[in-house]
Amino acid sequence: MASVSKAAPCQTADNPLFRQLDEFIARLEPGRNALIPALHKAQEIFGFLPPDLQQHIADALGIPVSEVLGVVTFYHYFTMQPRGRHTVNVCLGTACYVRGAKKVVEALSRELGVKIGETTPDRRYSLTAQRCFGACGLAPVVMINEDVHGRVTAKKIPSILAKYE
Amino acid sequence: MKTIRTQILLCAGGSCISSGTDSVRSAFERELTSHGLADEVEVVSTGCMGMCEIGPIAIVYPEGIFYQKVKADDVAELVEEHLLKGRIVERLLYKRATTGELLETINSIDFFKLQKKIALRNCGNIDPEDVREYIAADGYEALGRVLTAMTPAQVVEEIKASGLRGRGGAGFPTGMKWQFTAAEKADCKYVVCNGDEGDPGAFMDRSILEGDPHSVIEAMAICGFAIGASQGYLYVRAEYPLAIKRLDHAIHQARDLGVLGKGIFGTGFDFDLEIRMGAGAFVCGEETALMASIEGRRGEPRPKPPFPAQKGLFGKPTVLNNVETFACIPYIILNGAVEFAKIGSEKSKGTKVFALAGDVVNCGLVEVPMGITLGSVVFDIGGGIRNNKRFKAVQIGGPSGGCIPAEHLNTPITYESLPELGAIMGSGGLIVMNEDTCMVDLARYFLDFIQEESCGKCTPCRVGTRIMLHLVTKICNGQGTMADLAKLEELAPQIAKTSLCGLGQTAPNPVLSTLRYFREEYLEHIQERRCRAGVCSALMWAPCTNACPASVNVPAYMTYVAKGRFEDALRIHLMANPFPSVCGRVCPQWCTKKCRRADLEGPLAVRLVKRFMAEQRQDYLDLYPAKDPANGHKVAVIGSGPAGLTAAYYLVLRGYEVTVFERQPEVGGMLRYAIPDYRLPRAYVDKEIDGLRQLGVAMRTGVEIGKDVTIPQLETQGFEAFFIASGCGKETKPKIEGIDLPGVYAGIDFLERAAKGENIPMGPDVLVIGGGDSAIDASRIARRCGARNVTIMYRRTRSEMPTNPIEIREAEIEGNKVEFLANISGIRSRDGRLEVSILRMRLGAFDKSGRRRPEVIRGPEETRLVDNVIVAIGQQSDADPIAQTTEGLVANGYGGIKADAKTGATDRPNVFAGGDLVIGAATVVEAIQAGQVGARAIDQFLCPNPARKYPWETLALPDIDPDLDAEVQEMEPLHEPLLNPAERLISVEVERTVSPAEAMREACRCLRCDYKE
Repeated sequence: MASVSKAAPCQTADNPLFRQLDEFIARLEPGRNALIPALHKAQEIFGFLPPDLQQHIADALGIPVSEVLGVVTFYHYFTMQPRGRHTVNVCLGTACYVRGAKKVVEALSRELGVKIGETTPDRRYSLTAQRCFGACGLAPVVMINEDVHGRVTAKKIPSILAKYE
Repeated sequence: MKTIRTQILLCAGGSCISSGTDSVRSAFERELTSHGLADEVEVVSTGCMGMCEIGPIAIVYPEGIFYQKVKADDVAELVEEHLLKGRIVERLLYKRATTGELLETINSIDFFKLQKKIALRNCGNIDPEDVREYIAADGYEALGRVLTAMTPAQVVEEIKASGLRGRGGAGFPTGMKWQFTAAEKADCKYVVCNGDEGDPGAFMDRSILEGDPHSVIEAMAICGFAIGASQGYLYVRAEYPLAIKRLDHAIHQARDLGVLGKGIFGTGFDFDLEIRMGAGAFVCGEETALMASIEGRRGEPRPKPPFPAQKGLFGKPTVLNNVETFACIPYIILNGAVEFAKIGSEKSKGTKVFALAGDVVNCGLVEVPMGITLGSVVFDIGGGIRNNKRFKAVQIGGPSGGCIPAEHLNTPITYESLPELGAIMGSGGLIVMNEDTCMVDLARYFLDFIQEESCGKCTPCRVGTRIMLHLVTKICNGQGTMADLAKLEELAPQIAKTSLCGLGQTAPNPVLSTLRYFREEYLEHIQERRCRAGVCSALMWAPCTNACPASVNVPAYMTYVAKGRFEDALRIHLMANPFPSVCGRVCPQWCTKKCRRADLEGPLAVRLVKRFMAEQRQDYLDLYPAKDPANGHKVAVIGSGPAGLTAAYYLVLRGYEVTVFERQPEVGGMLRYAIPDYRLPRAYVDKEIDGLRQLGVAMRTGVEIGKDVTIPQLETQGFEAFFIASGCGKETKPKIEGIDLPGVYAGIDFLERAAKGENIPMGPDVLVIGGGDSAIDASRIARRCGARNVTIMYRRTRSEMPTNPIEIREAEIEGNKVEFLANISGIRSRDGRLEVSILRMRLGAFDKSGRRRPEVIRGPEETRLVDNVIVAIGQQSDADPIAQTTEGLVANGYGGIKADAKTGATDRPNVFAGGDLVIGAATVVEAIQAGQVGARAIDQFLCPNPARKYPWETLALPDIDPDLDAEVQEMEPLHEPLLNPAERLISVEVERTVSPAEAMREACRCLRCDYKE
């Protein structure tokens, strides 16, 4: 699993994280066409997409920041909120739903003390939900970062979470 | 040089990876090296093999031995036993769920046997990260042939001739799409692959991209040649990181080999590919929205025309096909359109991949010929419903699709047949649902999904789906009205007609389709505030109480038993059910099927606790609910089984003067005359009936209504209202030769005679025909009457038997045999014994209830000699004398009386009916519910007050709150304390009552689902 740095962006252009992003953008054809790949990269580097980062990308691609914001808010995958170190993503696809995903969500909320869309105060976990990871054979499924955990039951949750410091 | 003698194919599909394939692979490498086998045995990581549920899977070739659920710890044994000693490791083999048979090779497993793999031809057979393996499987040969031996027009013609249609859902003919795009004149054209597999429940595109990425790359290049494009885009969901990684790797390999890039195969044809990651928007599965997303914009659809074939990506002519569609292309080119078109139905050619998921035994990916029946996919390939539950429906086609219920399991799957049933092929998500799924909640789930995924561009979809969601949520919360339902039905077609793109046009489908087949459930939610599946929590006291036909407040009496307050517990039970001792012995426990504790170590043993609780008192006289003062009305109850007695109980409590009429010499009905005393000793029936007598229920036995006295005559004696619950106590006899010969018994008569203490002579060999409770009971009684070899013959298989599996197991423990898929066609006398002719059966097409109909395959030349035959194939009512002597009553044609099962109303205003007489042979607890219905009906008829609450409706929390801070401890569930077979034939009852400590401990396991704070 790729290690993902989650440091907050800052305005200084000599920030190495910004340099990493700029190098990536430089390899793309400039313009709107490159926006979504650039946003994916930025979120991978920074963990989330705050307004100043969106401005930076808009400038680099030569498009209005309003278009960047429009795209960021349209797609579920992009977030403007900082995330925890680990993203606990519950599948709410039909197969998981039929096999008890609702109960898994309740148990995770209870265990972490946060609702879907929230991050624990210690920034260790963010709890999110998505529709179908395509692992329906293992339903119900929880994806933590990029690891898929199948056949999750309320009973298994504490031991699964414990693996993510 | 290495000579590889054996290859181990290890599934490295997404699901198997999360089940631990990687550690299995390293274990193999380690073990092979340490045993010096590294040069002889090769481990190949492949794409998804399809059986995701039982991964990680390892197949050892050349034999094809199939190992399931392989853990790293198993590898040493596999290497040692299989690879060194040549012995198959049986404990890791796949076991056929229905028969328990161990299946060694992949080809012997039904799941694989019935499939036809075209799109998935390489998935699970090759290493997706090694292009050489793809080439060895004829990879890139189709591209080579196209570039060197065909013209673009010929390619288009070939695809048209194959009849291939878009596998993404809409089913548009692929060849036509290519032809339109090829015909456009433009400086630049594009090929786009739609890998934004957003339908929840579909994962075939993921498997193809992960397991055989080159087939898609090759197909896109072929398409590029056919339409004159030199650039393609693969749009893949961000949720599929492994697919993106493998595709990226494959594109680089293809470029290195010169099958992508400039001058492919040394011809003048250039073609290259770029991957674009989606960003989590379901609407991007729509082609115009997807192209907007590639262009870096919000993924909003636009009106068509112009179609992508004219103005697509960046305004240029574009072909956009789904992953699975592309994966079929190389096969068609190599094997010919004719070969492909041989498979399937007239208008739906080839195969389709389905993602089988939900409550089915074998979850995973299956590729089947078009035209296969839905039932075959679910039951033959899918292995049926897990945990012995009942099939309810399949959801096919994702949020744009619909549900198909049991009555349509014989439907062939084609692009044409599914829309007729209100569903669509869609991308092929096939979610199997059992009785635990609430169809209203399912509609709510999909509306919630659609409403959230609506891009917001057009009003009908943005606002319309929000209103629909609001209405359905209201219904789920028990606040719905009939006006809401009417509004839903009005809105749905408007949204479908006026929305801009496919998402909105199909958004109402989940509601329309559940309404079409499960309207009754909507009505239950609205009119009765009831959710039969036990899903909508606002409509439930607790899942167990909701499941119990008699609505017993299980959490309350469990709480009292746990604290040793047994009388309080009984008091709660008697509010809803006056037969705790009887039900403590014979209840099939609907409650435990919904018990939430089942998710931990197992459901509560409710029946055993109940039985213990009932035994704590000799009588319940001071524990019954308070009795109202006499109201002066006289009521007659006909039939003294549990339905009649329950009605009498509640009517007496309401102040009526009630007389129960019974034709038999003693009261109790089936409790006394059908259920054998080793399950239900008569003393307990007497105890609970005596209680009712003491409460004031008058009982007259030996009186048959319609013969000895009629309802009109009783009316002249002052009876104002009647509840008929005379049951169904007559055996349905098959019309076969010899059914009336001596030594042949009707099941229910046999049980009745045994219950009356008659000594029935039985020879050593007894054949019992049937598969229900009475067949099982008759077989066990026959043994107690002296039979030595008892065989139960049932025309279906074990999984279709309508009786409780525990009862079958018990009969088998006592030595009885069960013979499946067999029936008899005649009985003759021969040498003082009986010769039966035997038919062998198989399961054929599905009937309306979703069970397979048995059909004769052989017979009747096979015969068998036995001493006695007991025919217990079904029961019917015998209420014709009542119907004939009572003006206004209508016979139901099955010996019963026509009545509304929900209200008890018959065609005569002062007569009500319920129980087996109306619904057919059922359980004691269902009869108790019928008694409640009858009591309410009569009370509302004589003393109307719609607001009146009856004792079984008065649910209250016990006065002990649960300890919310306490951690739930795992506790071994209580098992049935059954006697061993040797003790049984001596002792009367086969199960003992549990001890106070056992009962209290078990009751402690209750999770208190009634407590909602």
